[in-house]
Amino acid sequence: MRARTTIGSPGRGRLIGRRALLGGGAALALSAPLSACSSPLGAGFVGAEVAPETLVFWNLFGGGDGGRMQDMEKVYEKAHGGASALQATTLTWGNPYYSKVTLATEGNQPPDVAVAHLTRAKPLWDGGVLDPISDQDLASVGLSEKDFNAKAWKAQVTDGKTIAIPLDTHPFVMFYNTDVLTKAGLLESDGTLTDLSGIDTFEAALEEIKGVTGAGALTSANVSETATPWRLFWTLYNQHQDATPFLADDGARISVNENLYRDITDRLTRWVSKGWLNRGIDYAGSQTEMATGKAGIYLQGEWEISTFQAIEDLRFGMAPIPTLFDRPAAHADSHTFVLPRKDRTPAQLEQALGFIKTMLEQSMTWAQGGHVPAYLPTFDSAEYAELTPQSDYASAAEHAFYDDAAWYGGSGSTFEDTVGAQLALVQQGAMSPKAALAAIRERLSTYVDTPSPL
Amino acid sequence: MTTTSASPRRSTRPGAGISAAAPPRRPSGAGAGISGRTFTVVTWVVLLAFAAIWLIPSLFALKTSLSDNGVASLGASEILSHWYPTLHSYSTLFGAGDIWNWYLASAVTCIITTVLTVLFSAMAAYALSRLRFRGRTTVMLLILLGIMIPSQVLIVPIFEMLGAVNLLNTYWAVIFPQVPAVISVFIFKQFFDGIPRELEEAARIDGAGLWKIFWSVILPLSRPVIAAVAILTFVGVWNNLLLPLFVLTNPNLMTIPVGLATVQGSFGQRYADIQAGAVLAALPLVMLYLVFQRQIVEGVAGTGLKG
Amino acid sequence: MTTASTPSPSAGSLAGTSIRGGSRRRSDRRGRPSDRGTGPGAWLFIAPFGLFYLAFLLGPTVWMFVASFFNTSLVHSGLGSFAGLDNYVEMFSRADFWSALWHTLQFTLYTVPPLVILAFVFAVLTNRLRRGQWFFRLAFFLPFILPSATISLIWVFIFTPATGLWASVQSLLGFTPGSGILADPKSAMVGIAIATVWWTIGFNFILYLAGLQDIPRELYEAAAVDGATTWQQIRHVTVPLLRRTTTLVILLQIIASLKIFDQVYLMTSGGPGVSTQVSLGLITGTAFTDNRIGAASAASVLLFVIIVAIAVIREIVERVAARRDQEA
Repeated sequence: MRARTTIGSPGRGRLIGRRALLGGGAALALSAPLSACSSPLGAGFVGAEVAPETLVFWNLFGGGDGGRMQDMEKVYEKAHGGASALQATTLTWGNPYYSKVTLATEGNQPPDVAVAHLTRAKPLWDGGVLDPISDQDLASVGLSEKDFNAKAWKAQVTDGKTIAIPLDTHPFVMFYNTDVLTKAGLLESDGTLTDLSGIDTFEAALEEIKGVTGAGALTSANVSETATPWRLFWTLYNQHQDATPFLADDGARISVNENLYRDITDRLTRWVSKGWLNRGIDYAGSQTEMATGKAGIYLQGEWEISTFQAIEDLRFGMAPIPTLFDRPAAHADSHTFVLPRKDRTPAQLEQALGFIKTMLEQSMTWAQGGHVPAYLPTFDSAEYAELTPQSDYASAAEHAFYDDAAWYGGSGSTFEDTVGAQLALVQQGAMSPKAALAAIRERLSTYVDTPSPL
Repeated sequence: MTTTSASPRRSTRPGAGISAAAPPRRPSGAGAGISGRTFTVVTWVVLLAFAAIWLIPSLFALKTSLSDNGVASLGASEILSHWYPTLHSYSTLFGAGDIWNWYLASAVTCIITTVLTVLFSAMAAYALSRLRFRGRTTVMLLILLGIMIPSQVLIVPIFEMLGAVNLLNTYWAVIFPQVPAVISVFIFKQFFDGIPRELEEAARIDGAGLWKIFWSVILPLSRPVIAAVAILTFVGVWNNLLLPLFVLTNPNLMTIPVGLATVQGSFGQRYADIQAGAVLAALPLVMLYLVFQRQIVEGVAGTGLKG
Repeated sequence: MTTASTPSPSAGSLAGTSIRGGSRRRSDRRGRPSDRGTGPGAWLFIAPFGLFYLAFLLGPTVWMFVASFFNTSLVHSGLGSFAGLDNYVEMFSRADFWSALWHTLQFTLYTVPPLVILAFVFAVLTNRLRRGQWFFRLAFFLPFILPSATISLIWVFIFTPATGLWASVQSLLGFTPGSGILADPKSAMVGIAIATVWWTIGFNFILYLAGLQDIPRELYEAAAVDGATTWQQIRHVTVPLLRRTTTLVILLQIIASLKIFDQVYLMTSGGPGVSTQVSLGLITGTAFTDNRIGAASAASVLLFVIIVAIAVIREIVERVAARRDQEA
């Protein structure tokens, strides 16, 4: 390159200017120490892998999950010669994460192993971003289909291939403030929750709770948050016998049962006007409401267990979302391990699968974070059965309702964002249910009408 | 450019260069309307009030970054009422290691882009300023066209083209697309246009070739404009988010703004750590500003470089 | 206009000297291409920049136009099937495409008045000071050189609902802090605008300061002799003489608004809902999340055309103003 010859020439000092050089020098001096420990320089210039022997792992876990995943990673590192064995990176979850996985794969530097939601693994597979995993590959590290929760395993098989190895199922569940519910008379003498099944029972309970808190009863995030309103809707919607898929034909058709949609949204609006459900509250705020007893019930994925466990003096319990209508149902997804498309040597493949195996074997650690293990040796263990409140809601995984398959769907997807945003506005009272559905149809029309690019 | 100490035009401009301790203008002549003194007091009060508003966000971020994560999570009043600073967040960030890689990526891409941009655009500008050649009009037209092309809007095709030549996830993916900064050709050309040609004549009579004249006569005379272009390029590349956000997806290679925007890693909801990251991303530029205040301010004033 | 002997006025305006009057024209030593240049030599000087120009500016532009007529996918190589005008038809019929443009306009409307008026006021006042100018330059200009990542992290934190600095100030002033300025679709863009005004005002401030220092002192003195008050001097001398700077500032701001991406991506990701989604956010989302390079290219072309049109208008305005200055 021309630049290289110039840089070596004597005029350089003049060209850049002494002070500019000093500035640049300062920046370089800052970065000098790291070139010693790991040098991305070579990789940055020639596009090689930074350290081919290191297993690169991407995940999307923040909060308590992030901490637990780090603990699990440390076990792997210990078994494989220290911190240099693994480079784990946590990226912001949602569309940006899956976009990064795709871009990194297109850019020839995907991670060796990545976490993906089951519902997002499918579009990745359709786009050719994932390598399939054969039964022999699994067997090479001592795994087989029989080791996994049948519902999650079946859900991930696509085009007859194994595309993702499920780690867990994470249903939408109910958290409750024990003190509040005790005062409201909603706990049995042995401390278990009374049966709240049936819409009338449940609404009566909300009224009781409201009486105790003097504020709200039920809290569910809907400000700066689109996933939670969707999870809430999808849970209640699917508790009805005549619930239809929201999307059909890989997203080419909106097939939601509109009467049911109106039923659910009208009811949520009523809950808000009764003061049972918060009008507008963000994610952290909704947790604070429950933790401080301003609300008795908090609805969210079970992963928030570690948030509440970290709060001293808070007594809380967890249960599946009560069956308010015809049948038990809960929105859910699964975290899975996927292998982004990459030229792998057999040794690298084994390394990747070995890592996944090591992670699965620590499902007990993972379960402490609330997720229901998909790895049966852990799920069926006595240890897990004794783990409460985690095992109290494990049955919710049996009634899991995944998002419908669509090229723009899945957890944290455009679909969830679009629908969730409108549902959040309905709950905030900023939009009527009818207008929200119209907006959903209109916003999704681009996707519905477009042939899948995958 | 206002930085043209060698420019013959300087003398024609009153008060050229705003940093030159500009003579205070007291437009209100003696005894005109509101008394000058009152106006001056009002001026100070208004300016100080706004300056405070403008300084508070940065200082608040700095204060937060020097707080404990626990304190920071409690909110603004707690942050402001806890006086004891801690460097805990900074040691966390430096300990985690990612930030070193990000600094390296930012430094490498900024320096190389700056060198290439300055050299190549000065060369092109020299040809356009001094040399006659077939196709010059076309080149001028293309350059004029180029200045109107919003390069940000080209992110999608640039990504695809970098992918086609396997440059994604290399520093070059950030460097190459930022080299053709057409505005810098204009800045150089305009400066060169103002350099008297006698200087070159002398060198030419001594038998110097084009390159020699460019290198030994023109460039040494152009230090102020080189400094301005170099600094503004450096700042622009350091601050670029859009391009590296999509072409660098390997966390080891990310530039610091992209790393901060992308990798949650050890941060989570640790507000003090997050603000420490924000401070660290800005720190080299703040230092650069303090050293090159005049060049930066005058460069911005002279070029209208932005976005 | 680009002939060898006539210096291009637009080049001048782009390099900014135009904002300080036509003095440059007086230079009679303007370089004019010399006789000594020979073809090959000149081309060697042009070549390095030229190659980058072709490869990373003109090339992508052409490719963008081409891909906009195809169903190009991020995850498949090649252009994909021919789409004709489908991508354009889609964009024109997409509500979010128009709303992205509308948000851009909204952002422009929110940011231009404060950016022009406050910058003007700051500059006029600062320019009057005998001492301490450096301090105000630092205070107002420093944010401008900070990375967008830094300013976004700062302002998102300031806008933290309930406990953030913004909410605390609101409570102090007796307002009830709501759910957070960035969380409400009605105010999220205002939040982004506030952060942006804080971030970029230094740029306009510097432009105005430069413009002010080109106003001959005699004009004020003459006005003062005529008995004009300070206020009248500002109104009848300063404002009219800075009209050209103001035009430049406004046009630059409009172009910058059309290209806004960083703050929105970092502060709201276009949300809540799509209430702050802007054109570049839509384009990158379509390309890199939806994997639809072809459709994203069509949207890029449309944005490209709008920006170039405004840039052309800016050139014309500059040139007219330059001519008027010259005649004056």
